[in-house]
Amino acid sequence: MPEVSKMKKPDVKVVLLGDMNVGKTSLLHRYTERKFKDTISTVGGAFFLKQWGPYNISIWDTAGREQFHGLGSMYCRGAAAVILTYDVTNWQSLAELEERFLSLTDTANHDCIYAVVGNKADLTDPKAHLSQDLDGVSQDQTECEEDRTEPQVLSACPTPPASPASLSGMILHKQVTHEDALALYGRILRYKGLEEKSSLPAEKMCFETSAKTGYNVDTLFETLFDLVLPSILRKRNENQESPTVDLEECRVASGKRTKSTCC
Amino acid sequence: MSVKAFELVPAVERDLLMGDKARINIECIECCGKRLYVGTNDCFIHHFLLDEVTSSKGKLSYSAQKKLQKYLGLKKPVAELRAASALERLIVLCDGILFLVDMETLETVPSAAGGGAKIRGVTAFCINENPVNVDPFCVEMGILSSKRRTVQIYMVYEDRVQLVKEVTTPEQPCALSVDGYFLCLALATQYMILNYSTGAFQDLFPYNSEERRPIVKRISREEFLLAAPGGLGMFANAEGVSQRAPVNWSESVIGAAVCFPYVVALDESFITIHSMLDQQLKQTLSFRDGHILQDFEGKVILASTKAVYVLVPLPLERQIQDLLASHRVEEALTLTEGAQKNIPKDKFQILHKRILQQAGFIHFGQLQFLEAKELFRKGQLDVRELISLYPLLLPASSSFTRCHPPLHEFADLNHLAQGDQEKVLRCKKFLISYLGEVRSTEVANGCKEDVDTALLKLYAEQDHDSLLDLLASDNFCQLADSVPWLEKYHKYFALGLLYHCNGQDSAALQLWIQVVDGDLQDSTRSDLYEYIVDFLCSCSNVDLVWKYANWALQKDPNIGIHIFTKRPISKYQPHLKADDVITYLGKHGNALLLYLEHLVLERRLQKEKFHTHLAVLYLERVLLLLTESPTDEEKLTKAREKLQAMLRESNLYRVQFLLGKMENCEQLLLERATVLGKLEEHDKALHILVHELKDFASAEAFCIWASSCRESSYRQQLFHLLLGVYLDGNLPGNSQTAGGGGNGDLKMAAVDLLNRHGEVFDAARVLRMLPGDWSLQLLRPFLGRAVRASMHACRTSQIALGLAHSENLQLLHDRLKERKKPIFVSEKKGCHLCHNTFSEPDVVSLPGGIPVHTHCVAQRVKDSPTKRQLTNSSNHT
Ligand SMILES: Nc1nc2c(ncn2[C@@H]2O[C@H](COP(=O)(O)OP(=O)(O)O)[C@@H](O)[C@H]2O)c(=O)[nH]1
Ligand SMILES: [Mg+2]
Repeated sequence: MPEVSKMKKPDVKVVLLGDMNVGKTSLLHRYTERKFKDTISTVGGAFFLKQWGPYNISIWDTAGREQFHGLGSMYCRGAAAVILTYDVTNWQSLAELEERFLSLTDTANHDCIYAVVGNKADLTDPKAHLSQDLDGVSQDQTECEEDRTEPQVLSACPTPPASPASLSGMILHKQVTHEDALALYGRILRYKGLEEKSSLPAEKMCFETSAKTGYNVDTLFETLFDLVLPSILRKRNENQESPTVDLEECRVASGKRTKSTCC
Repeated sequence: MSVKAFELVPAVERDLLMGDKARINIECIECCGKRLYVGTNDCFIHHFLLDEVTSSKGKLSYSAQKKLQKYLGLKKPVAELRAASALERLIVLCDGILFLVDMETLETVPSAAGGGAKIRGVTAFCINENPVNVDPFCVEMGILSSKRRTVQIYMVYEDRVQLVKEVTTPEQPCALSVDGYFLCLALATQYMILNYSTGAFQDLFPYNSEERRPIVKRISREEFLLAAPGGLGMFANAEGVSQRAPVNWSESVIGAAVCFPYVVALDESFITIHSMLDQQLKQTLSFRDGHILQDFEGKVILASTKAVYVLVPLPLERQIQDLLASHRVEEALTLTEGAQKNIPKDKFQILHKRILQQAGFIHFGQLQFLEAKELFRKGQLDVRELISLYPLLLPASSSFTRCHPPLHEFADLNHLAQGDQEKVLRCKKFLISYLGEVRSTEVANGCKEDVDTALLKLYAEQDHDSLLDLLASDNFCQLADSVPWLEKYHKYFALGLLYHCNGQDSAALQLWIQVVDGDLQDSTRSDLYEYIVDFLCSCSNVDLVWKYANWALQKDPNIGIHIFTKRPISKYQPHLKADDVITYLGKHGNALLLYLEHLVLERRLQKEKFHTHLAVLYLERVLLLLTESPTDEEKLTKAREKLQAMLRESNLYRVQFLLGKMENCEQLLLERATVLGKLEEHDKALHILVHELKDFASAEAFCIWASSCRESSYRQQLFHLLLGVYLDGNLPGNSQTAGGGGNGDLKMAAVDLLNRHGEVFDAARVLRMLPGDWSLQLLRPFLGRAVRASMHACRTSQIALGLAHSENLQLLHDRLKERKKPIFVSEKKGCHLCHNTFSEPDVVSLPGGIPVHTHCVAQRVKDSPTKRQLTNSSNHT
């Protein structure tokens, strides 16, 4: 059998977790391809290799569907960072993080860092329409124009349109506040048995993003990459103290042992 | 759209296997080199020799030859077969019993120790393809048994099997695979990795093995492929980590294998082929009654219940070409790059380059130039491939031929654009920018002529500004090929530049002259005439200068003369001798004048010849203007001013010669006066100015001019001379010659002169010269100034004297201070001159403070023949 080629070996792993439809795939897309496009429900999982300086970071997009839930632990094994994603317009998606997804991270590295990310901020927060990303802006503008053509311009009254007809451009009710996310982050630390004081502060690790406009997306990933650098360096050092040699030695040794038992 | 990555080729047909016995089914297969073993449900093992046959068209087929078939005598289906080829043994599982048969004879191997070569109660087994044990005559095998929740590790020898390890599992295992120490197990509810050496285990993920058949397939060192919930094929390594993204199978996969870069899976009715590189489904083959899919030494073999097939991978290149043919560039590149490690390095590089180039042309064909450019760059495309798409761009002399097989499907640009001119234009614009970028990089090495010529043609055709930049810089444009293009687009100026680049300056000049003269049309430069003049000015070919200067001078002597006057003086440029130029310019009077002006006034050459020539030309012009009637006063004034300036300022022209030339002309008195001034015949000159021209201002100016750069006494003398002339004319006897009423004028002129330039005159002498009847009042300013001046001079000299005196005193004081040290005189000290002691305090001190008797000094002074003066500073102590 020919040796299956190994791909570029990633130095570190970042995993996106969260319920289906919260926008994990869209976030990864936005970050890697700089655009927002239609996604199909992720099957199983997928990953992307990101060159970060001299390092390769693999970012795993997981499937939120219950069906694939069992695979989560495997994806998280050895992760240096986990991005717990929820949808700011959906309270349940935050609750699921705690109920279903947090336990999957048991297999992550002991020094794994956690980010709590509320996606789809564009739906609740006008500020999330401002993005560094140009496509995002242009997309938004077209939508604003659509809104203006809606036939509700009679009064200058600033009340929002009552009909949910124009969902796309409308401000939806924000079901999850930033405070809720901060509180969840605190509970995650407690679950992990980590001291709040010696851990990364909640303010730094809770993000609100929009894959649609690109709001905060680069910030999210790049903050995480910078934070996992120590983890990469540690891993490199471990590899330099080459465990393969140890393994080889141990194998030979035990091989002899088996032989001696059989005679 | 899909790729054709594999072809299903029949290996053993139904007839050969079971003839017309309808109830016989294939249960298991094993393949080992050419040897193919098939186990059936009627407890037979069939042994075939499988030969690969390649037809003349390159099509692969298999021919199977039956060697042997053997009934095992257990009346149960043969569940599994595994070859241990080093031992020449087949490991057979049938009816829960595992035993060994000879690979050639298929005879059951009698056990050495009696019955030891059999293991009972076996549900599944696997061979360790990456064993830790190094004994080549022994095979390591993992076994699952029906009763216990354990995995057993056995060593299989030629004639016996030996249990070496037994590990308990948390649940009943139902499928296994092993690599090194790592067992990958499917348990009832999950998969796990078990290190049989340490006993450590690692959960992978939950899976209900009762619901769906698990698949545990070793695919490479310490990496396994597993059937996962939701119809996924999951990868897991021995550490329990997934390093590849899963592929999406159907729910009911029976068997799977990896044939890089593809994952091949079999369900009841299809073979699905996914790429491990991008997880995508690449090919689906329908396959009914699918039963077995296994890979043997890289060969994927499938079996339905009745027949055996080989899944033959198409050559990688062919797959890539198929992808490219359907414009699936990304996939083609992924596939190529994914195969890097399976292809020798040099071969890969060639393949990779070619694919990149082809991919580039696909993007190019879709007018995606950015992508195309990047791919061309990565694939190190020979730019001529691209240029050759554009009809007629490559020079006729180019040795280039397109690579074969071709990199793209286009005959040329017109074919590509299908007559859409807008497309053609965009392609041309792209080529312009692309060639512009690469022409100075290594990409153009070896074909610079082709690149630059193509670029020139495009620039000319597109009326592009950079045409001139290209030609003005170092370039490799082919002359013969470019000429017709530039002519076609009326780029005559550019063509001239090209001639120039090729050292054909004469051709360039002829062409440009035709444009300036209106014989050819090219509006590139409205100042082409000036350009030609500049060109000739710095032209190093002197013959050309002589040849074309005529034309330029005729056109406009004022600019044309720049050819000679603006010519840079450097050692790299052949020098034009001034005398030659002057001779050449003989027939261009005006230009000659300009040239001489350049030599004399600008370059200030101190050569009599030039100065005289210029002065004569000036004079001749004035004379000419004088003869015209009516005279153009303005012109005349200007011409005279020039002449006068020349006569005044130059000291080199031949004065007598010029004087002779203007002698007969009564209009040029001023000039004559100037020339006389040059001859220092000042009285004659002043006479002309005062008496003939009556131009007192000029007379005064003459005095100042003629005495400039001379000592002040010279000027005084001139002024006195002028005063004399005024006064002489003023004498009553002379009143007739001065003409009517002139006396008063001369008197006033004299007064004015004195009053204005009093400081120049010697007042005493003036007073003696003046007639006695002049009123004091008239000369008051002069006299006042004279008195004040002499007063001033007197006082100034007194002050100077006083200052000198005080300075002297000051110096004396300083000197004394220096010498203040006392001079001691005592009775014991002797005089240096007479050596007697001193008896009185009066002594004389010699320089250096040496005391001597007064009388001794007196004596010495008297005796000294030179009567030398003594420093007479005496100190009295
Ligand atoms: N308005 C808005 N919609 C989003 C955003 N991110 C994702 N979506 C939409 O949410 C749906 C689910 O996105 P997807 O990325 O597939 O979620 P996943 O299941 O977590 O991978 C899709 O219809 C997206 O278009 C966002 O930032 N803003
Ligand atoms: Mg998804």
